[in-house]
Amino acid sequence: MEIVSSIAGIVLPEFPNQGIGDIKSAGFENVLLDLSVYCSGIKLRSFETKLNPEQVKQDFDKFIKGIQSKNLKVTIALLPYLLRDTKRTDLNELLLRIGKDSIKVLEKMGCKHIIVRPLYIGVPFDKEWEINKAYYLELAKECKKEDTMILLQNQCKDVNGHLVRGVCSDEKIAVKWIDELNKEVRSKRFGFCLDVGICSMCGQNMQDMIVTLGERVKTILISDNNGSAEKALLPFTSRADTENSTDWLSLIRGLRQIKFDGQLVIDCADTARNFSPILRPQLLALSKSIMDYFKWQIEIETSLKKYRSIVLFGAGNMCRNFMKCYGEQYKPLFTCDNNSSIWGTQFCGLEVKNPEALKKLPKDCGVYICNVYYREIEQQLKELGIENIEFFNDEYLSSYYENRLKRRQ
Amino acid sequence: MLKIGVQTKTVINHENPAEGFEKVKKAGFSCVDFSLNEYLLNKTLYAKQLNTFFDKTGEELQEYFRLFKEYSKKTGIAVHQMHMPYPNYVPEASEELNAYLRDVVAIKSMQLCEYLDCKYIVIHGLKLAKYLGSEEAEWKMTEKFLDFLAPMAKEMGITMCVENIYISTGNHILEGPCCDAVKAAERIDRMNDKYGAEVLGFCFDTGHANLVGIDFERFIMTLGNRLKVLHIHDNDGIADLHQVPFTFTKTRENKPSTDWNGFVNALKAIKFDKVLSFETAPVLDSFPMEMREDALAFIAKIGRYFAEKIEDR
Repeated sequence: MEIVSSIAGIVLPEFPNQGIGDIKSAGFENVLLDLSVYCSGIKLRSFETKLNPEQVKQDFDKFIKGIQSKNLKVTIALLPYLLRDTKRTDLNELLLRIGKDSIKVLEKMGCKHIIVRPLYIGVPFDKEWEINKAYYLELAKECKKEDTMILLQNQCKDVNGHLVRGVCSDEKIAVKWIDELNKEVRSKRFGFCLDVGICSMCGQNMQDMIVTLGERVKTILISDNNGSAEKALLPFTSRADTENSTDWLSLIRGLRQIKFDGQLVIDCADTARNFSPILRPQLLALSKSIMDYFKWQIEIETSLKKYRSIVLFGAGNMCRNFMKCYGEQYKPLFTCDNNSSIWGTQFCGLEVKNPEALKKLPKDCGVYICNVYYREIEQQLKELGIENIEFFNDEYLSSYYENRLKRRQ
Repeated sequence: MLKIGVQTKTVINHENPAEGFEKVKKAGFSCVDFSLNEYLLNKTLYAKQLNTFFDKTGEELQEYFRLFKEYSKKTGIAVHQMHMPYPNYVPEASEELNAYLRDVVAIKSMQLCEYLDCKYIVIHGLKLAKYLGSEEAEWKMTEKFLDFLAPMAKEMGITMCVENIYISTGNHILEGPCCDAVKAAERIDRMNDKYGAEVLGFCFDTGHANLVGIDFERFIMTLGNRLKVLHIHDNDGIADLHQVPFTFTKTRENKPSTDWNGFVNALKAIKFDKVLSFETAPVLDSFPMEMREDALAFIAKIGRYFAEKIEDR
């Protein structure tokens, strides 16, 4: 799985080097080139007066130099797009022209995935497929490299200020479009980029969407929002009263089910814009950690496969959840707990032992902390001389018990 | 002209059904959506509690609603649809409570539906995807519940209608059971084929659809004549407010932020011929007592407006 940072909100067109440096310092190796940074929806709306191609070219050259100097790769790009509330209906030709020109440049840069939002402004409901089919096939003609992929992306539409499900937000229709386009070009030129922010605004079941789209999903564009306004916020920063606004459980379940191994892109442009440039390096470091966390969650089983045998630490709800979801396939030797009153008892089919028993484990045995006090227990395990320490987490499991065990005294 | 209906909750009270039915008639409605769910509230069930209402025998329940039925006949206000108490399954509750919901509440609801000469009963799907791991596994449990009632529905000539409902993460609303029209259509057809009767149909809730950004037009067109029942109401796209259509706007242009055009176009396209039923009980709570009759009449007028557009008059 490839972790990618979008440049939006971080890289300024006129002076790109600081933002590029911040991305690199945070530990990212790959970026998503969001071309709306150079050619925004506002400029497109009044392109006759506001878009200066010469200026765009100059700024873009600076970006390329900056990227090269930091040894970052542009593995994915997003073509310019119109703002949702654009009233002009004559801009689709312009988008096609810009798209064709962009593809040429992007291929030269070694960019393999190009996200192209479907056309919908000025497109009648019953002509969506016909118009988009022609659009995508025209763009495909510009792709000269065999492995360049054009990714369709789920959209929302503006109903007088209310953003609702739009073109390609119905996964079954998206599947049909992608398959028909690939059939037309007789290759796997087309795939899908799932925009998590849009799914969240439209309250969609991401698990179902991802499973239906299957291997067509090449890229996941991750951002948070409050469920109603289109903002690209850092994941886990939007709270809906008592829980996260975004249904991360549904996303992670879906990606696990299809064994996702594509690009995981973070777009936290609006959070980044909110932060002082002084704090931005720390913000980007956090965004990298968040992406590593998502990757770890999605690949949680990979960690379990590392060891010949495993042992759990903790005999409570998390241990019970581990046993429910993984106990059969990865049966632990035993579990242990600091509560001496339960040593020697059985819990979910496991013997509960004194943590001292961990000292006698073979070298290729992993110890999984099944308790939210990760760092405290990690320290305890280190003091016992344990090396193969792993965290387990039950926030995003494939199934749950309907009830929780009462906390032991 | 298409008939216009409204839910009984906050309009017809049990103590004086005569007055309630007269009020409904005077406002311009010809049907009601009987809110049986008022007698065993969801908040009671979510607290893992029950009340004794459904402990009454079938005869006692019929006697309890005898006057209701009489005034329905007398005023000519038909009970077009009714709402079964929900949820039908409470995670974390005892087996006894969940068995009671299925074996007592659901069965007696069906019997009351038949007693009131009502042909459609709205049933919420079970909300279990989080626990079971997928929407498919969740539907299997809903289907099991519907299968339990289907022979009775067939015998009584009642169509059970599943409704697009929601779940939430905190207070952010997400799609819940029956929010996929393609799946719903396939499941309805499969069940009806299995029983050789129209035992299952769909109830489209405009407010719930608006909360999760469902494209009204596409959804209704996919359902086609499987759509039997409507819950018409409006909201701000954020909370389930059950307000009057055309109430909410989001821009200074003040155009409606709910896609009522799509709603009308789709009903027209599928030649919808059932009842335009409003689920707008909270509206009456928010208006002062002196204005409630006017508010009710206004809702009925919106219904007539929809009917005219749908029937292209």
